[in-house]
Amino acid sequence: MNTNNIVENLKREIENFSAETKVEKVGKVMEVFDGIAKVSGLSDIKSSEMITFPNGETGVALNLEEDAVGVIILGDFSKIKEGDEVKATGKILEIPVSDSILGRVVNAIGVPIDGKGALKIEKTYPIEKVAPGVITRLSVDQPVATGIKVIDSIIPIGRGQRELIIGDRQTGKTAIAIDTILNQKGQNMICVYVSIGQKDSKLRKIETRLEEGGAMKYTVIVSAGASESAPLAYIAPYTGVSIGEYFMDQGKDVLIIYDDLSKHAVAYREISLLLRRPPGREAYPGDVFYLHSRLLERACRRNKEYGGGSITALPIVETQAGDVSAYIPTNVISITDGQIFLETDLFYKGIRPAVNVGLSVSRVGSSAQIKAMKKVAGTLKLDLAQFRELEAFAQFGSDLDDSTKRQLERGKRAVEVLKQLQYAPIKTEHQVVTLFALTRGYMDDVPVDRIKEFEQGLTEYSQNNAKVFFKEILEKKMWSEKGEEEIKKVIEDFKNNFIK
Amino acid sequence: MAIISNNDIAHAIYLATRDKNKEEQSLVYGRVVKFLNRKRLFSKVPDILFRLNNIINKYEGRINAKILSEKLLDEITKKEIIQTLSRRYSVKEVILHEIIDEKLLGGFKIEVGDEVIDLTIKKKIEKLQEHLINNK
Repeated sequence: MNTNNIVENLKREIENFSAETKVEKVGKVMEVFDGIAKVSGLSDIKSSEMITFPNGETGVALNLEEDAVGVIILGDFSKIKEGDEVKATGKILEIPVSDSILGRVVNAIGVPIDGKGALKIEKTYPIEKVAPGVITRLSVDQPVATGIKVIDSIIPIGRGQRELIIGDRQTGKTAIAIDTILNQKGQNMICVYVSIGQKDSKLRKIETRLEEGGAMKYTVIVSAGASESAPLAYIAPYTGVSIGEYFMDQGKDVLIIYDDLSKHAVAYREISLLLRRPPGREAYPGDVFYLHSRLLERACRRNKEYGGGSITALPIVETQAGDVSAYIPTNVISITDGQIFLETDLFYKGIRPAVNVGLSVSRVGSSAQIKAMKKVAGTLKLDLAQFRELEAFAQFGSDLDDSTKRQLERGKRAVEVLKQLQYAPIKTEHQVVTLFALTRGYMDDVPVDRIKEFEQGLTEYSQNNAKVFFKEILEKKMWSEKGEEEIKKVIEDFKNNFIK
Repeated sequence: MAIISNNDIAHAIYLATRDKNKEEQSLVYGRVVKFLNRKRLFSKVPDILFRLNNIINKYEGRINAKILSEKLLDEITKKEIIQTLSRRYSVKEVILHEIIDEKLLGGFKIEVGDEVIDLTIKKKIEKLQEHLINNK
């Protein structure tokens, strides 16, 4: 080691150094409790401004009162004590972003927690931002292929849409989200998974699953675990959407999952009550609607003049005993463009994904569906609804006319076809073939318990034998007469061999 | 129901006693004591008085400035500081409170309300340390 160089370098650095002196606004910690600090002073502070504590922790000013400022502490608050001097930074809370964040697990303030080293920071993005205006937006007309038959056919999701996944605990809400991420491979989509108040073991499982599926290459996980303080859970979704906006600003399509917003609302309720804000319904503060509406409004599809790109949001909300009329579920239902409603009863009946087709809806997604899918799935929702009604009715009588029997049989097969295993997303073209066979009645004489076997066999067989049909769907998103003739023949051929 | 803050009470006391002669003022003081007793606010008296003092200073163009230095400052420096502060805060009078703190190593630090102007050697060294770490 050349010691002369060290001395020379140090000298040069010291010569270059100019210590600018400026007037600083400081405050003193009056009290600290549960991730919250009351600070005196800081007279010119703005709402949501970043504050630094002497131990290096960051805080955010939330309550601006006459004599004091209510600050949420983002990190370890156990070392902050009364009388500590805090400084205002003059900046709104920002997180570091860069392309290298893909494949990483970061905490609510954008710091990696996966042990793979520090991020190369290119830019910082504020976590609170006004949602893009009307002029900059474009209507939803590009699909997000989830790879889940029941969703892609009946409740389609478009790029820029906000679709709520709602249901009781253990009904497969996260599974739908994870399957959707897994299916984005090669679909030109960046995924952000925001885990709020989840167990670390669950997050680890998800990360491993995504890694195995090769999905971490285009995914970022933002985690505010169950062991972390409420302020971190509160800012995590905003951090996630800021990361999403960084990629959207590059013209990319982003899919963001908030798992889940009920825990987010609970964290915000905790902060609000500690800050002594007046409680309202279910003890949530008055601005809990704005909490979620400002977050979900940031999901959008931007037009070309404003850089293109989109953010599709899949918020998750957990209900208690299927009660969708509770405060947070009704709020989020009204904010989003539709909901996927999962039911415990269906789940235990073995219908998985346990989607209740009657209560689930996608308000804008149908315009994003490809023509071929629209054609095969057109009457599916109605058929299923009629089936449910007839099924209930048929329990009382044994004498049924032929058309009712036919509808019942078709319905049973439709339910069977829409069942799908976890982590097994299906390509859109394969879904089209299956639903084509179902809605055109090719499955009517296949026994219900062999439907899955039939579906799998047909997918493989048609892949090799209906090349024109597949090509047309991939390129033109719709089949021609020639393609239709081909697929009909292929299905019949396969069926003849299968029934034998 | 609106809550009256200590600052509001202090402000009201100031406005009620301003431009009054001694007898009138003593009448007001009596009413203030009765009010504080009725509202059970005696425990807040130190804070109210502190605020009253600040309000009086503000209206009369006075500020309290704390000066922390390694050793006592000479009269010329103090005079210069007073002049600079009265210009900066547009006040007639600056009341200096000097505190000796050897840990500052040199220079001085001025505190006015929640504003701090740190001109100590300790702060400069800290900044140099930050500069050397961040510009590696």
